[in-house]
Amino acid sequence: MKIAVMQFPGTNCEHETLVSVRTAGMEGEIFRWNRPEQELSQFDGYIIPGGFSYQDRVRAGAIASKEPVMDALREEAASGKPIIGICNGFQILVESGILPVPGEVSMALAQNVMVQGKKIVRRGYYCAWTTLRHEADPGRCAGSFLIDKGALLQVPIAHAEGNLVTVRDGLVQEMNDQGQVVFRYCDWQGRILKEFPVNVNGSTENIAGICNPEGNVLGMMPHPERAYFAWQLPSSDPRKKVEAPGPGRMIFESMKRYIEVSR
Amino acid sequence: MKINLRVWLVIPDAEAATVKNTLVRRLGYADVLKDVRKERLFSIEVEETDDPLELAGRFARELVNENKESYLASVDSLKFDDGFVPVKVGLHIEDGEAISVMNRLVHRLGLTMVRGVEKATIWKLYLQTPDKEAVAREIAERLLINPNKDRYQILPTSKD
Repeated sequence: MKIAVMQFPGTNCEHETLVSVRTAGMEGEIFRWNRPEQELSQFDGYIIPGGFSYQDRVRAGAIASKEPVMDALREEAASGKPIIGICNGFQILVESGILPVPGEVSMALAQNVMVQGKKIVRRGYYCAWTTLRHEADPGRCAGSFLIDKGALLQVPIAHAEGNLVTVRDGLVQEMNDQGQVVFRYCDWQGRILKEFPVNVNGSTENIAGICNPEGNVLGMMPHPERAYFAWQLPSSDPRKKVEAPGPGRMIFESMKRYIEVSR
Repeated sequence: MKINLRVWLVIPDAEAATVKNTLVRRLGYADVLKDVRKERLFSIEVEETDDPLELAGRFARELVNENKESYLASVDSLKFDDGFVPVKVGLHIEDGEAISVMNRLVHRLGLTMVRGVEKATIWKLYLQTPDKEAVAREIAERLLINPNKDRYQILPTSKD
């Protein structure tokens, strides 16, 4: 079972992601954007890690989405192979028209807008630990295949543009109805509170991660590879131990399990 | 009245170069696209004043870094030279950066005559094709905007 960890100019989380892939029991390899795209077909799954591909020129993910490797990934997505886009990887999947509706750019990840007491208190880049509530049924999405519905995960974010917006009427309702909303930002008790700091970026309906209608492609703004081991958790978390799994590990183990059952 | 500040880099613009490269190498415009340049546009709505260009100079001292940028100010009208198609791209959702600029001008610098700030990017597309505007629209929609947050407009040039 071999995973391609995609690397564009400006990607900066590929090594942590590769460690997570390998520790989860899969083989992994960093796949640079300028390799022949035909070579992608030999992999069983794909992860587009976080970073600032092409320095976010034009807008986050826009330039990388035009690379030939993204055409190849579009085909692999259509064939049912799992793809996970993390942070900038999520932005690339959206700009490529792979998420949430294949074949069209139906949403944008706009600049963060933090609202508190109905006033904007902050905008732009933000880096913090968040709590995510898993909204999908187990088995619905390749990247959360093993996670129970309603489970809470502590995973950090670090981005300036994670505010999900769309002009397409009914799209968010459609995603809710079809179980495409995979993660929402919530508080420690799992409550979905609309305002900052629970909704860290002003995202519509606190959405932190979504999948495509088939469920094999997951995009999420938080970084599960930064919560793969319990020692990565913040000092305030009582689960912080040297040798224990962290909450982000379930994303990578889910991908592995999804590939096993899809074979 | 509206003061327009057009700001551009006098050092190489890597973002414009990347856009040109993507359009030529990835999106098939090699035969028609000769060059891409970029400007930032601040359109600042102010109360009537006797010397708007002096005021524009004060705005420029805040918004332009003359070590790497140059600018051109105009009042009310915004017209570009012939030879390229100017595509103005801005947000149709709330523009936090424009609000921050306005707050800076009004509250930090005491320029209380400022009524509003709009910020946009002007992409200058140097095209060699009979229907330049149609190609410019196509380029805007394929690369320069995400319609879920951005809007664009083809601006007039001196020829129009």
